[in-house]
Amino acid sequence: MNTPYFGNLTERMNAFRENLLDAKSYACAERAVLTTESYKKYLDQPVVLKRAYMLKNILDNMTIFIEDETLIAGNQAKENRFAPIFPEYAMDWVINELDEFDKRDGDVFYITEETKDQLREIAPFWENNTVKARGLAAIPPKSRVCYDLGIIKAEGNITSGDAHIAVSYEDVINHGLVSFEQRTREMLESLDITTIENQKKSYFYESILIVIDAVKAFSNRYAQLAHDMAEKETDPKREKELREMAMRCEKVPYHKAETFHEAVQSIWMIQLILQIESNGHSLSYGRMDQFLYPFYLKDIAEKVITEDEATELLVNLWLKTFTINKIRSWTHTQFSAGSPLYQNVTIGGQTKDKKDAVNALSYQILKSVAQTKLPQPNLTVRYHAGLDDQFMKECVEVLRLGFGMPAFNSDEIIIPSFIERGVSEEDAYNYSAIGCVETAVPGKWGYRCTGMSFINFPKTLLIAMNNGVDPKTGTRLAEGVGHFKDMTTYAEVEQAWDKVIREFTRHSVIIENSCDLVLEQDVPDVLCSALTEDCIGRGLTLKEGGAVYDFISGLQVGIANLADSLAAIKKLVFEEERFTSVQLWDALNNNFEGVEGEAIRKLLVNDAPKYGNDDDYVDQLAVDAYRSYIDEVVKYPNTRFGRGPIGGTRYAGTSSISANVGQGRSTMATPDGRKAETPLAEGCSPSHNRDKNGPTAVLKTVSKLPTKDITGGVLLNQKVTPQVLAKEEDRMKLIALVRTFFNRLHGYHIQYNVVSREMLLEAQKHPEKHRDLVVRVAGYSAFFNVLSKTTQDDIINRTEHVL
Amino acid sequence: MKACVFNIQKFSLHDGPGIRTVVFFKGCPLRCKWCANPESFKLQPELMWDPVKKAEITVGEYKTLDAILDEVMKDIDFYEESGGGVTLSGGEVLAQAGFATELLKQLKANNIHTACETTGYTSPAVFAEFMTHVDLLFFDVKHYDNTRHAAGTGVSNELILANLATAATLHPNLLVRIPIIPNYNDTLEDASGFAKLLKEHDIHQVELLPFHQFGEKKYEYLGKDYALLDLPQLHSEDLAEHQRIFEYHGIKCRVR
Repeated sequence: MNTPYFGNLTERMNAFRENLLDAKSYACAERAVLTTESYKKYLDQPVVLKRAYMLKNILDNMTIFIEDETLIAGNQAKENRFAPIFPEYAMDWVINELDEFDKRDGDVFYITEETKDQLREIAPFWENNTVKARGLAAIPPKSRVCYDLGIIKAEGNITSGDAHIAVSYEDVINHGLVSFEQRTREMLESLDITTIENQKKSYFYESILIVIDAVKAFSNRYAQLAHDMAEKETDPKREKELREMAMRCEKVPYHKAETFHEAVQSIWMIQLILQIESNGHSLSYGRMDQFLYPFYLKDIAEKVITEDEATELLVNLWLKTFTINKIRSWTHTQFSAGSPLYQNVTIGGQTKDKKDAVNALSYQILKSVAQTKLPQPNLTVRYHAGLDDQFMKECVEVLRLGFGMPAFNSDEIIIPSFIERGVSEEDAYNYSAIGCVETAVPGKWGYRCTGMSFINFPKTLLIAMNNGVDPKTGTRLAEGVGHFKDMTTYAEVEQAWDKVIREFTRHSVIIENSCDLVLEQDVPDVLCSALTEDCIGRGLTLKEGGAVYDFISGLQVGIANLADSLAAIKKLVFEEERFTSVQLWDALNNNFEGVEGEAIRKLLVNDAPKYGNDDDYVDQLAVDAYRSYIDEVVKYPNTRFGRGPIGGTRYAGTSSISANVGQGRSTMATPDGRKAETPLAEGCSPSHNRDKNGPTAVLKTVSKLPTKDITGGVLLNQKVTPQVLAKEEDRMKLIALVRTFFNRLHGYHIQYNVVSREMLLEAQKHPEKHRDLVVRVAGYSAFFNVLSKTTQDDIINRTEHVL
Repeated sequence: MKACVFNIQKFSLHDGPGIRTVVFFKGCPLRCKWCANPESFKLQPELMWDPVKKAEITVGEYKTLDAILDEVMKDIDFYEESGGGVTLSGGEVLAQAGFATELLKQLKANNIHTACETTGYTSPAVFAEFMTHVDLLFFDVKHYDNTRHAAGTGVSNELILANLATAATLHPNLLVRIPIIPNYNDTLEDASGFAKLLKEHDIHQVELLPFHQFGEKKYEYLGKDYALLDLPQLHSEDLAEHQRIFEYHGIKCRVR
């Protein structure tokens, strides 16, 4: 067999990878039990201290192990790929679904009877005592209806905490936790606690000291374990590795790192612990090719490490990254199919002084991620006009492997957009991707630059057409402007949309604020806050307004369906009078059943302009409709406004992740000819098979959206067949396509699935033969075979650009 | 002024350099037995069965110069970034040469790179004028032998060869393409015959297009008879010897 373009994994990393692929995902009760223990014991403590003691108890007592193949220490749960349970966020779904985990249609988790018993035993303590319980209780009734009917969803926030953040790894490796400890001590000592504000700050500072100490002790546990293993090791090479590992674990992350290997160990330990502290996902590494580069360069120059050793170490880090697992409720799973963790690594882009930032480590990261070829980490390349063809070609080589990476974010729109919002120029040039497509300044930005709540746009339109009443349940959700059946002009439809979407936007704000209120009060993340500037300086946790910047966004789902629906209504009902509004409304309610229904559906599909074809008629309708949302949402600050951060406000975002499937399921037939319960369009991509003019037209359409105001991310998924990229000259044309999108059309993000339809169909038929087939779902990649049939089909049906 | 056009294909990668849009003109004076676009024979719109929509659809539409120009100009950013442009194809674009020439002039006025795929079947005067507005000229030659040419395409190759001579002398960027059709022009002797013809015109570069059956179904959808039903397709590896013959004659040969 030919050597792959990026070379083969080393033997031991290949063995490690195989073991991880073999490992079954189990639910793990260990963290849940230890958390419950601490919560009971420290019931009387201020909440930050309780959280600190909880983390300490887990780190002191959880099972630890060091795999035979690894050069980096640190594990999340009892075994690799086991998913811990985080009872403080939500426990009801865990108990309700205990017997269902292994019977799911996708994202199957196994569970032992012992684990079930342990979870059932602790469950009573958490009854009405979780973030979810308090979060739902905090949502006022009118907004709660929107939540319950699935128009606005925020299940991620309410059942699993925040994350969606990159902490300051740069400071961790360059100064060690000891520097954070020192600063905290100084702040604490100088604090006059006669005011209640300061007294509260003192709790936070105390909790940081507890947590840093716990992290140090945790790392020392690995040092001890490595020592013990070295004592028993018969292979002298491995014995030496274990002894060195022990020394590293004694040193970092508490002290600053001095070698590349120490820096990697330090980063991993923190990345890991942050995902034990909180159940939030999209915990991202930030610009790893930048902050690790000085270590890499020094070690290569001083021959401390070879390039191949560095590749192996990075692969090791990615395999460790992949060991992290997360179990979600079944309903939430439909929004985040494939149990993604969205641990993003960003490379490329520009330096703070505006020069091309690509360096030897950027290539190393590309190579190591390509070799690893797993759903984690999620690799993003920051594009800018000065990125050279050599690096772009290397990126395309990774794309050709078909696992959906890297995704591209563009400096050309994101940096100016940040600067306009008040981000300093230096920080704006240092942004990184967070999770999937969203962006923030690592180490300085609060949680959830996107990922707040999801609004179902097409369903909102249907409610607007139905005079503000949910067609399914008859519940009045908003004041309407009359029923579609009585409307005589398109302007009335527009008016109805504008009124209802603004009302729902307000509800989404209320729901988000309810979640944030409870997350702030119930589950502050001590370590995550400590590692984000300026939480220590202000003595505030992230949710209290500790971050330098704090902009958030929700996710708007089904933009293409909304656009196509509006165009079909405008053209076929009001301009051409092909059928009446009554006929259309009836057809929608009957899900296009019957001869007349089907005839209407055909006209809707075939005779109206479609989003994604560079047709101004429909594209402008999308822009106008989206404007109503954007215009409304910016009015409402988040819960940190005026408490310290720059920003404290909201903007729009389109990364629907796999919510298009989940929200599609609860949405009746739509005027774009889409049948009830089928998936909505994802991100800002066109609906399946509705883009007939090829990729340039899609990019043109997407570029008409007010991207500058959708700073939360404009997610565009494209699929091309592997043959398209078989020839060098065609690969260059793909690069030109991407360059045009970013340089001239000011696109925000693009990602490619380079996998053939046949391959996916084959994998559906013979999952056993394709256990490591990784595909792009939305802003992230996942194992194809872990996905439910509906999500698999959704991916298969995405328009494939064949040349 | 309107032309009958049956497709405007964007993001076309194999009809010239860079990212291109191809405008397919409807109507062709030739009747090549192997033609993969039989819906392009007639100069007027016609009905064809659409197996996806399960209905008859109209192929071809009369479009104004402005309408076509508006459509192709939408991708100007892509042309500029990739070094691409617009390619006119068919059918036979020269069947609507007046319109096509106007379109080319407009494109050049907008600094758009132009390419054209033609079989050169028109009067020498029309061809000479048309050619000057084309940056890259793909010139299809079906047969070097006039009798065989007429047998395969229904027309003589006299005009074609006259225009080829003009192009060879005057056009700075000419690429001759030969569709290789089994039992028609696929022997090695044929390759030598073509090579001799090209050498006569001092042409040193050729592209061979192996016969394919992509158009097979279309004949059925149009209710037309197809003479080459079930004729096996050729692949690039089948033409390795042909390539050698051309190379032997000093002609750079590429098989698509």
